[in-house]
Parts: sequence; structure tokens; C-alpha cells
Amino acid sequence: MSENFLEIDNVTFAASEKNKVSNVSLNIENEGDVICLLGPSGIGKTTILRTIAGLEKVQSGRILLKNNIISSRNIHIEPEKRNISLSFQDNCLFPHFNVIQNIEFGAERNLKKKKDLNIHEVVKFLHLDHIINKFPHEISSGEAQRASLARSLLSKPDLLLLDEPLSNVDQSFKEEIQVKLKQILNELKITTIIVTHDSYEAFYLGSKCGIILNGQLRQYDDPYNVYHFPNSEEVVNFLNRGILIPAKVTGENSLENEDLGTIKGNFIKHYPKGSDVQLLLQPEDLEHDDKSNLKLEVVDRKFRGTNFIYTLKTLSNLMIPVFVHSHHIHQHEVDEKFGIKRPINIDHIVCF
Amino acid sequence: MRLLRKKINIWYLSSFFISIVVAIPIVTVFSSFFETTSNYSSILKNTFLYEYILNSIILLLGVLFLTFAIGVGCAYVVSFYKFPGVNFFKWALILSFAVPAYIYAYSLTAFFENFGTAFSILKNIFGEGDYNSFIPKFDGMIGAIISISFSLFGYVYVLTRASFHYQSQNLIELGKNLGFSKKKSFFKIILPSARPAVVAGLSLVAMETLSDFGSVSFFGVSTLTTGIYNAWISFDDLALANRLSFYLLIFILGLLALENFSRKKAQYHTTSRGGFKSKSPIFLSNYKSFLAFAFCFIVFFISFLFPVLQMLYWTIIFPKHFIDLNIMKLFLNTMLLVFFSCCVLISLAFISNYGNRVSKSKVLESLTTFSVSGYAIPGIILAVAFITFISWFDNKVISFFEIDTIKSIFIGSILGLVFVYFIRFYSLACNGIKSGYSKINYSIDESSYLLGYSKFKTFSKIHIPYLKNSILLIGILIAIEIIKELPITLIMRPFNFETFATTAYVFASQDLLEAAAAPSLFLILIASVFILVTSKYILKD
Repeated sequence: MSENFLEIDNVTFAASEKNKVSNVSLNIENEGDVICLLGPSGIGKTTILRTIAGLEKVQSGRILLKNNIISSRNIHIEPEKRNISLSFQDNCLFPHFNVIQNIEFGAERNLKKKKDLNIHEVVKFLHLDHIINKFPHEISSGEAQRASLARSLLSKPDLLLLDEPLSNVDQSFKEEIQVKLKQILNELKITTIIVTHDSYEAFYLGSKCGIILNGQLRQYDDPYNVYHFPNSEEVVNFLNRGILIPAKVTGENSLENEDLGTIKGNFIKHYPKGSDVQLLLQPEDLEHDDKSNLKLEVVDRKFRGTNFIYTLKTLSNLMIPVFVHSHHIHQHEVDEKFGIKRPINIDHIVCF
Repeated sequence: MRLLRKKINIWYLSSFFISIVVAIPIVTVFSSFFETTSNYSSILKNTFLYEYILNSIILLLGVLFLTFAIGVGCAYVVSFYKFPGVNFFKWALILSFAVPAYIYAYSLTAFFENFGTAFSILKNIFGEGDYNSFIPKFDGMIGAIISISFSLFGYVYVLTRASFHYQSQNLIELGKNLGFSKKKSFFKIILPSARPAVVAGLSLVAMETLSDFGSVSFFGVSTLTTGIYNAWISFDDLALANRLSFYLLIFILGLLALENFSRKKAQYHTTSRGGFKSKSPIFLSNYKSFLAFAFCFIVFFISFLFPVLQMLYWTIIFPKHFIDLNIMKLFLNTMLLVFFSCCVLISLAFISNYGNRVSKSKVLESLTTFSVSGYAIPGIILAVAFITFISWFDNKVISFFEIDTIKSIFIGSILGLVFVYFIRFYSLACNGIKSGYSKINYSIDESSYLLGYSKFKTFSKIHIPYLKNSILLIGILIAIEIIKELPITLIMRPFNFETFATTAYVFASQDLLEAAAAPSLFLILIASVFILVTSKYILKD
């Protein structure tokens, strides 16, 4: 038997033929770990959660929680006996209970459990104080989502599953809730799987992230590695945090692109000299330098608060994103020339 | 096999068993094709069968036309316009539900017959005269169409009004935007959007009309239903009675299929979130406001006040019949049937719906759908099929085990009567609860399971409290139906067990219409009380 808290062993998750994620294997090693699953809409992320919760049956493989098989071809523990809580993306509050009754309904389970979570504390941190006496049809979808999250948290499950928990929550509360949620999950050691399409949310909340693409779990690693060392072009394209440009390997630590010239750095994987590769270029890889003789045309500028992301067009029509701190002394308008510091040094070189 | 084993649990089995029991009479009707019928069958084919069919069609078309015009007309006026009394008419118009078609028929005859109430009124106002010659006579087919229509138009009114009520103001504004006149907006946008509701109302009217026995037999109109009754009573030919019922059933299912086909893929859902804008009724000018008021008042008067006043008039001028009537006993008998039937119907319909919900079995769902189609089978046939089944079971099964006969337990007993009511009104209870369930998203159940609540606790802690208003509404609708129900009660009741409905019928069948007035009046009043209690919910749903 394994020593993992949760083990998903070669499981095929399927709600329908279209909605299928095959041969998934992943583990949550310790109680209290939080992992996130990222993937495009309709790929089957929710199906994975529903299957772990026991609402769907597995097609193959097995799922073990605390070394007990909860799902396999022959074993299926009913959802109400798993002590796994799932907070749905849509409003699933009981319509005839008000918000506080809904939350208390969840708290009725596991009253004797050691994990001590104060109902008022949860209500407060999720900003539900002003709506506790309202009924589900009287509150917004964001409020309903927070109430549902409170109900799930207070049920003190062995495993908490959150399906897009903050997708409808106002941006003004979102970050604060993320911080507090992470703190509570850590303090109470509630093992959690979060499904989200927001990579920043996943990188912040999860100690590990799984990327699901085209019916497969493509990468399962810690957030830093997922971002900086994506293991396939598909993952790069999904994360959309950089582009792939053609380059030729010219040495142990260098390669050459016809627009950018020589690029130096540490290869994370060895390529023979002369190989044609696709180099991952992320916005923070290039540095702005007004004095540089490598000038590219600005085609777009996105203001992100703390920074700008400039999109630059090369002579061979590649669109390259470049990160610039928003306190940079001056801004560049569209159609202006934008200087790139040379020589280009990248900390780690990811090629495909 | 593994999946099947998982699906079969106590809920599945209960639901399966309930549906099977309800489906027995329908299967009996369908199996009539394999049974031999008496000579009456060939006699009927050569003589009255076509008359029965033709009369049924004429009756149906007449009633559908009238109920459509009255029901949709009233629903439109009270939903879209503001005029004096509109809030009163919204609920007053549903009081017509309290008047069964056969009591309406008695009133119609009593008022217009020679030397009837109309004659007396004219005589009192204008003195002696030959008024009988120009007072119109509403008997035969016309009488039956009018009686049934004014008794049943409420189905179309209630469902269409609910649909109009939930229609968004956006739809109406869309019509204005496209430059449509009010008339064009009504026929091109408002009415087509309410089509499923209108059709649902007309379907109920069609089923009730084709299975009506009280008023057609009173007016002497020979329809398939009276044919069924004759086949059984006069010729003791149950197989033929069943076969005629089969024709009826096919006829109704054919109409429904035709409507479904003609609708193609059009959808009529109203989204509850976003896009909905509540309507602001239009204030009518003096002249138009009077017309709207007059229209609603005339319908209310003809459908409800007229039969009530006629029965009240007779009750007052013939007090002997009223004094002789043991009202308390009739009331208790009626309420006893209502209470037991509501308990049985609601609890079993609840279990059946929940079984379908948790097992998600296609087989079970089809079986349930099939079993509720029994609503179209006339009460007479259900009662006869039940007696036949019990006799067969008693002869073949019970006697085999040498146990005492069970006939006395089920035939001529309250138990048997409630059992047949159960089969007859199961669709009402089942569909009512199903409609309540359709508002509970399935993920609500899943949330409950995931919070550690079992299926039974989810049922008792979530579903029952949430559906309590639906349960109350269904209970009262069943009560109204049972108070008015005639043929099953007549056939299945214990000896000397009378209700308001049977007492009224027995007097009327002996041509003692004035004696039928008091029980009819009480029947209408009790049903009216039930309707008033639930009018808020009926108008909503």
C-alpha cells in the first residue's frame, strides 16, 4: 500500500465520451496539501472532482484515500460515506434555507472532529455577515459561491474539492479571500483539490499544479516549474505566458535567432549544436534598454498595474511580449521603436 | 449487470412497484385486443359505433373551441390589462373548477326547461304568458358542450394565465419595436409563446371531456364513454368496454403526438435569471375597461354564479329535500375519502418520483410515464378493470392457497374505492410532484450527499420541506377532484355509503333535480373553499 494521502492510480474519468480524461495518475502526499488543476473549459476538470467525490464512477484505475480504495471498477463508496466535500461552481445552496442555515447544515457533520473552525470566523472572512439571513434567490452568484465555500469548509471534510471557487467573486474581495483561504486550509490541514482556469490563482493556492489538456494530465508539478519549465508546447500555449520562436543551437549555452541575435543561458535539456529548436520566450526574459541598437516596433501595450506588457513585432513578423515595470521613466506608444538590451541573457533556456 | 445491481435499491423497487400497480388497468385496456368480445361488438359496429365516435369528436371539438376562446380570452384580459375588479377576477374565474359538468348540466336544464326557473322569473316580472315557446332549450349535444366547457375552461385559463404571467415585458416591447399592433402582437408573439401552456390546458380538457360520463348521460348524448358503460352494464362485455377505452386513449395520444410534431424543435423556456422584465399592465379607458369587466363578469356569472344561484334557489324553494339530507354524514364521508386518498396518493407519488430521481433509470422513467397516461382512461373503466382484476386474483391465486376471499376487502369497500382513486388521480399527484422536483437542481441532492446526508435524510430534510407548498397544492387539487368524482364512487362505494356527488347523481337520475340541488350546492361550496385556499398557488403554478 502507498503512503500517500490521496492516490489516483491510472484512472480514466469520464462523464461522457466527449468529456474524458484518460489514464490520470497523481498523488497528494501529505494531509493538508493543496493542489490545483488547470485546464480549458469543458476538458473534464469538474468530472475529475465529481468522480473523486463519488458522484461519478471510474472507468478504469483506482482512487485511494488514506490508503482505502474509494473508487475502482469494483468498489464504489457512496458519496455520503466518503467524508469528501465538493463545493460546486454554480449555486447549490438549499433554496428553502437561508444562508446561515445552509452553512450550519454543512457544519452538522463531523461535529466531534478536532479541526476547530468557528462558523462566525468563516462567515466574516468570506464577507457573508450582511447576508446570513437572506435566502439563496436573494443573493448574487458571487455571494452564493462564498456561502457554498463556507458550507464546505465547515463540514470539515477529509478532502475538500473546490470547483472554480472564486470564479464569480468580485475582484475586490478575491485576493483577500485567496489569502485567508490559503491560511485556513494550511492551519486546519484540510487537504484540498482546487479546479480553476485562473493560473495565478492556481499558482498562489496550490503547492502543486496539474495541467489537463486534450484529455490527458500533461504536467503535474509545483507552480514554479509549471510556469518556468513547461514540459510541452501544449502547456506553453495553454498558459499563454510566452511565445515559441525559432532558433538554432550554436553552443553549450547559446542559440541564435535571426531577429534577436545571440541568446545565452542554461539549457534545461541538452540539444546538439546545430539543432533547430523552438525557444520559449517569456515576457520577463527580455530587458528594455532605450540605448540598445536592437529596436523592435511596438504593436500593442497592456497596462497591468505593476507593469506593462509590450508586444513587439520583429522583422520576420514574430510577436514578442516584453515585461516593463510600470514605474519605468517613460512609456512607448504603438508604432514607436522599443529597444531590447543586448546581449540577451535568459536564466534557463526551455526549448522544444 | 454491475450497474444494474447498483441502481436497484429500495427506492427503485418501491417506484417500480407503484408504477406497475398504476399501469395494470392500462395494460388491461391494451390487452383487450387479444380478448374475444360478445356479439354486441358486431352489433355495435353495424349500428352505433360510428355515432359514438362522431358524437365524441363533435363534443370534443365543441368543448375545445369554447374552452380555448373563454380560457385564453380571460387569461389575456386579466394578465395584460388593468380595469376595475381585475384582481378579483384573477382568482374568481378559477371557481368554475368547483362546479362539475354534471351539476352544471342539472342547472342548465333546470333554468331553461319548460316551466323552469327562467319561466318563473319571466312570469314573476311580466305575468302569465307562453314563455316556454321562446326560452331556448340547451339540451342534447349543445347542452353537453356548454356544461363541459364552462366546467373545464379553468384548466386553459389557469395554465395560460401562468404562462402570460411569466412572459417577459421584453417580448411585448419587442412586438412594439417591430411595429406590431396589439392584435398582431397577440397572435404573433404572445399567444405562440404561451403555446405549451394552452396545449397542456386543452389536453386536460380533452381527456376530461372524452371521459365525461355524468353530463353526457344526463343529456342522452351517446359517446364512446357511454358506449363503454353500455358494453359493461347492458351486455356485460368487459373486453369490448376495454377496447372502446383503447380507442379513446389512442385518440388522445394521437392529438398529443400531432401537437408535439407540429411544434418541431421550438422551445418555449423562460430563463429565470436575466432577461426577465415583469410586465406593467395597461390601464384601459372607460369604455374598454367596461368591456373587459363585462367579459370577465359574464364568464364568472355563467360558469359559477349561475349554477350556484340555481341550486340555491331550488334548495330554498324546496326546503324539504334540504331538511331530509344528512349533511354532516355526507360531509364526513366525502372528507374521509379525501383524507385517505390524499395521504395515499401524495406519499406514493413522492416515493415514485424520488425513486426515479435517485436511480436515474430509463426503464423506470418510461414505466412511470406510461403509468401516468392512465389519466385518460374513464373512471368507469378503471373501476371495472379493478373489479375484474380482484375477481381474477381471488379465483386464481387466493383460492389456490385456500385463504378466505379478498373480494369483500377490495370490492364495495373504502379501501377499494381509495385504491381506484389512486389509479385514476395518480398522474395528477405524480406530475405535480415531478413539476416541484423539476425546480430542484440535481446538484442540490449531490451537495447533501457530499455533506454526509443519506438518501433518506436528503429526502426528509431537503425535499419534503422544500416541496411542502407543492404538496399542499397537489393535496387540495386531489381533494377537489375527489369531491367532484362520480363514476368510480358510484361503482366502488360500500353499500349505503353516500357522498355529495353520489347523492346528487342518484336524485338527478330519478328526475328529482330539485332534490339534487342541496347536495350539489354543498359540493360546490366545499370545493370552492378548497380552491380559495389554494388560489394563490394555483395562479402561480
